[in-house]
Amino acid sequence: MENTHVVKNDSSLISRVLKSKEIYFLILPGVIWFLIFAYVPMYGLSLAFKTYKANLGIFGSPWIGLENFTYVFRDPAFLESVWRTLWINLGRILFQFPFPILLALLLNELRMNRYKKAIQTVYTFPHFLSWIIVSSVLINSLDMQGLVNGIIRLLGGDPINFLGNTQIFRPLLYITDNWKSAGWTMIIYLAAITGIDTEQYESAQLDGATRLQIMRYITLPGIQSTIVVMLILTVGNLMNSGFDQIFNISNAATAKAGEILDMYIYRITFQSAADFSFSSAVSLFRSVINFALLLFADRVCKWLGAEGLFPSMKKKVKVQR
Amino acid sequence: MSEIRSEQTQAHKPSSSKLNNRIEMLDVLLAILLTGFAVAIILPFLNVVAVSFVTQQEYLKSSILLFPKSFTFENYKSLFEDGRIWTGYRTTLLLLTLGLPLNMFLTTSMAYGLSRPSFPFKRFFIYFVVLTMLFSGGIIPMYLLMKELSLINTIWSVVLVYGINSFYLIIMMNNFTTIPISLMESAKLDGAGEWRILFKIILPLSLPIIATMTLFYAVDRWNEWFNAMIFIRKGDLTVLQLALRSIVIDSQISQQLNISNVQTDKQFSEGLKMAAVIVSMLPIMCVFPMLQKHFVKGMLVGAIKA
Repeated sequence: MENTHVVKNDSSLISRVLKSKEIYFLILPGVIWFLIFAYVPMYGLSLAFKTYKANLGIFGSPWIGLENFTYVFRDPAFLESVWRTLWINLGRILFQFPFPILLALLLNELRMNRYKKAIQTVYTFPHFLSWIIVSSVLINSLDMQGLVNGIIRLLGGDPINFLGNTQIFRPLLYITDNWKSAGWTMIIYLAAITGIDTEQYESAQLDGATRLQIMRYITLPGIQSTIVVMLILTVGNLMNSGFDQIFNISNAATAKAGEILDMYIYRITFQSAADFSFSSAVSLFRSVINFALLLFADRVCKWLGAEGLFPSMKKKVKVQR
Repeated sequence: MSEIRSEQTQAHKPSSSKLNNRIEMLDVLLAILLTGFAVAIILPFLNVVAVSFVTQQEYLKSSILLFPKSFTFENYKSLFEDGRIWTGYRTTLLLLTLGLPLNMFLTTSMAYGLSRPSFPFKRFFIYFVVLTMLFSGGIIPMYLLMKELSLINTIWSVVLVYGINSFYLIIMMNNFTTIPISLMESAKLDGAGEWRILFKIILPLSLPIIATMTLFYAVDRWNEWFNAMIFIRKGDLTVLQLALRSIVIDSQISQQLNISNVQTDKQFSEGLKMAAVIVSMLPIMCVFPMLQKHFVKGMLVGAIKA
């Protein structure tokens, strides 16, 4: 791929390679691991254009062209799951994405430093638990007999079936995901806030700006580039976020409402008679769309004048040399 | 990170307190909102602890159960008699002992190699890593690969599938580049090879990042379930998270079946379930408050890169 422009070196290349052979020995174990467990599976997606024969394996199965895709696009469940994934995850951007930013802005204004640290520990903790644990904890509280409905009853309301209602399902996803990970994402924004020039704050205070004005006109613009990068990453994940969560938090009543693309792939591959070529076609479709979305989001951000995802990465790579 | 924060807050806080030292409405509002979210996180955990320690009678009596009046260890007793949690603990500990050294060996050696100032094809190898962050084959080819390597139903499938996390690798690589090159040059003059330099000079100098990365890998391994669910269909190799899941789902089913005769059921399934939750998250719960600083530090090194 990228190596074509590297091979423009003079005849000393071989001697330079020989001189750095120790470095190659250092990276060799890692490279072998990447080749077997990242690049072979990547090549394995070529099954999308083959018909899988167990005795011939990934490499030996015969090519059949685009046939698998014609079946994929004829499956209504596939198309529905694509739209559902997009809608659920676009909702994440609208309703879930701003929350950690808000949290960081608020926590930054809190003056009690010790309390701030304690609160930060509480916020970040659930991120380190698996969705299996988190969903067990939350389902216990959101049950008909659970804590939340207990409080609702105490206040004189009628208990709500949070878990079995397709109408509540999406808000449930956004809220539980924020419950688990908003605190962790908040840390990134908090770090960005500490990077803002303190002189700006001082002069704003001298000019008599209120704290809300400072938050709005200095802190928020100050973390804009971080927000943009996070947004790009979120858009790049539009097609493949949420499997762990939905797999554990949905139940028989909400299974249909939660069948995102990854759930669909899981269902057709591992829960029914598997057609690996068909699943690979779906999987390839997903990866390509994801990749395209990431590039698209990056372009849009650059077009809007913000620094995208890749310039910083390239800069970093250059610094290494 | 906390050091940087406190420095910064001290840097601009004195001037702000000069202007308005009194507590404003805003402070009260902030404290209420932020505490509210913290309470929303803590209460469900408190509820889980409470349910795991009570009998079914008390559970049914009280609608808001946070501080039980009477304690019982019956739920934990029946959990350990059930045995699945033991299998889970055994498998996950095995996974950690086999997997963590592999993670650290692969990641540190490759990160150090890639952090060396310049060697032919360095750019190529960095893109080689970055590409895996942008594009992945997914679970289906991985499953077929494991099948062809005959690793299905062995612990090695789950050990090997997660060898290097590209993000951690790049964090580590960036960290190694901050070590002055002169150190390595002088070691080289003394005749030390690259591996020797890695173990004798780089690792002792990078203990904080090594500790942080070990922690990250350990947590990831501890929370492993999806690959294990796909690759291992053998009951005696169930990882902890899946053992918990099977207990949770079992008791959901038994709840549905027993809906008419709840009282006659001698085992309190909700309590058993919550006891299992507590037992599976206990290590993280104990370790996290002490090591939270390291987690945050590790993530911030990565965030600067992103």
